Amino acid sequence: MLSPASSNGNLFKHHIAPNGAAYAVGALLLVLLFAGAYVSDRFATLPNLLNVHQQATGLAMVALGQTVAILTGGIDLSVGSLISVTATLTSGLADNPYGGWGTAIAAVLVLSIAVGLANGFLVLWLRVHPLIVTLGMGAVLQGAILYYSTGPAGNVPDGFDSLAYGRYAGIPVTATLVVLLYFAVSFFMRHFNLGRYVYMVGDDEHAATLTGIPRARVILFVYAFSAVCAGLTGIYLAAQFGSGQPYLGANYTLASITPVVVGGTVLSGGRGGVIGTLIGVYLLSLLNNLINFAGIPSHYQLVIQGAAIIVAVSVNLQRKRVSA
Amino acid sequence: MNSVVSKRRPPIARFLSTELLRRYGIFLFLVLLVAVSGVLSPTFLRADNVVNMLVQFAPLGIVVIGQVFVILVGGLDLSVASVMATAAVIATAFDGTNASAPAIFGATFVMCLCAGLLNGLLVTKRQVSPFLATFATAVVLQGIRFAYTQGSPSGNVPPLFHTMGTGTLGGAPVSVLMLAVCAVVFGVLLHLSTFGRRVYMVGGNAESARLVGVSPDLVRIVCYVISALLAGVAGLALSGYVGIVDNWVGRGFELDSIVAAVMGGLALSGGRGSLPGGLAGAAILVIVFNIVLLIGMPVQAQIIVKGVIIIGASACYVTRRLR
Repeated sequence: MLSPASSNGNLFKHHIAPNGAAYAVGALLLVLLFAGAYVSDRFATLPNLLNVHQQATGLAMVALGQTVAILTGGIDLSVGSLISVTATLTSGLADNPYGGWGTAIAAVLVLSIAVGLANGFLVLWLRVHPLIVTLGMGAVLQGAILYYSTGPAGNVPDGFDSLAYGRYAGIPVTATLVVLLYFAVSFFMRHFNLGRYVYMVGDDEHAATLTGIPRARVILFVYAFSAVCAGLTGIYLAAQFGSGQPYLGANYTLASITPVVVGGTVLSGGRGGVIGTLIGVYLLSLLNNLINFAGIPSHYQLVIQGAAIIVAVSVNLQRKRVSA
Repeated sequence: MNSVVSKRRPPIARFLSTELLRRYGIFLFLVLLVAVSGVLSPTFLRADNVVNMLVQFAPLGIVVIGQVFVILVGGLDLSVASVMATAAVIATAFDGTNASAPAIFGATFVMCLCAGLLNGLLVTKRQVSPFLATFATAVVLQGIRFAYTQGSPSGNVPPLFHTMGTGTLGGAPVSVLMLAVCAVVFGVLLHLSTFGRRVYMVGGNAESARLVGVSPDLVRIVCYVISALLAGVAGLALSGYVGIVDNWVGRGFELDSIVAAVMGGLALSGGRGSLPGGLAGAAILVIVFNIVLLIGMPVQAQIIVKGVIIIGASACYVTRRLR
């Protein structure tokens, strides 16, 4: 059962389509593209697809960390609050005469790592389900950032928005870097010990402990990584909106889990991978774009989104039953 | 090697090491919380405040009962808040008189049945993770609600539902009586009936349950339907309590009910925990909110205290088994 990261690493079998999900999701992606081309002749054009690419950035960033946490059989429900915290701190500190954007980013990264390590430490030390630990941590973070500011805090400096809107030769820079990061993480998960341990802990924690896998290190790593991804999302959103506010990330907690599961990673851990999540992110981003193009009234959009999630997940051929 | 690993226990579990304390710790925590709260604020134990807390406790308690069933079979139900809001919208969808009450009950029943069946069938027949299946159901219901109300619900809640939410019967708030009835009925169902034993069997080990002739899928589906129906009841009661209806009646109940259940000793892996425990967890949540308000903490501190209590209370319930 410790096969996902075998050294003869079959990338497709183990990391993209561990349970047939990628076939289904890939087919859905194609259906969406054809449906979009049918609905509007501006849909399947390069400028629009580049917009979809750009709009996916925030979700892609936070879902990357979430995937790695879920692969250990855990979950990180503190990401929404952490995004709110880091976005608010980014614009707040960047606007501060004693701060500056460099200080802001450094502070955000340090804080994110601290929060992630705290999550991991509590999971290890209290042995409480990560769902509860990170939910509680989310509440603590939400309360803390409301002490700092109850509304939009400060403004990001001029030029900072290029982090969100910058393009090189027409291609969104940050979005493309995030995609490259996905492939880097996928490589890391297959070829580095720590990455392979993530799968082993998720597959069978007890067996992993018995075989001497440094479980504590793995847990601390995944929650720190998830928190850093959320922190980077916060910085990105601050750049996108010009200012962070204390509820900016609220919707990202559950939203970050959807592409992970749509992409074929199972919530009980051990199976799936980040590339599936990337496909899931683009599926959702494309769906939102298509709904706008089709001119569907906003009140009906949620029905379609919910139905799409149901279709996407119920065609997954998951064999392992999931507990939470 | 095996025994070394399994004997390693977290400090708090070592501290609360007896089985008695593990099983009944949540009730001890509840009593301590009441005692400390009574000392902190003289108004806490005054009759009107107790009634106030009970009325707040009623809808959450009703939802938690359903959540307990679902968690016991190894699932969880994120759709309860959306079901509650949809029930509340249904309550205002008719002419606002008591004559429409049967139609409201009927429509709510059908809606809850559909939501519960959808959750149950997705989880069992398609093996979708409960987290995502119930989340998707919530989004679909939310969408239907928005499409129906075009964003802002109008219409009135019939007087009968006001009575359910705010009225009293023989001195006791009606909503609290409703909770009491639900708790007794479903407590008996869970802890004294054959079906209840099957719930624990399926949650503990679905394969062995199947081998002795219990259908795990059927039991699971029934649990999701129970959860949806109770959420519908809570939504109707809450619509009468709030008086006005928006698209978000019950917001936050999905996570609060799960947190209450887990604090009350229910294992998310299924098969362990009890209904009284879940209700005690819900009571703790309500009391914590009440006391931080009474002693005048700012809203920021309330949120932080809630987070800390969630983690702290759950830490008392950690089992020796590695997750």
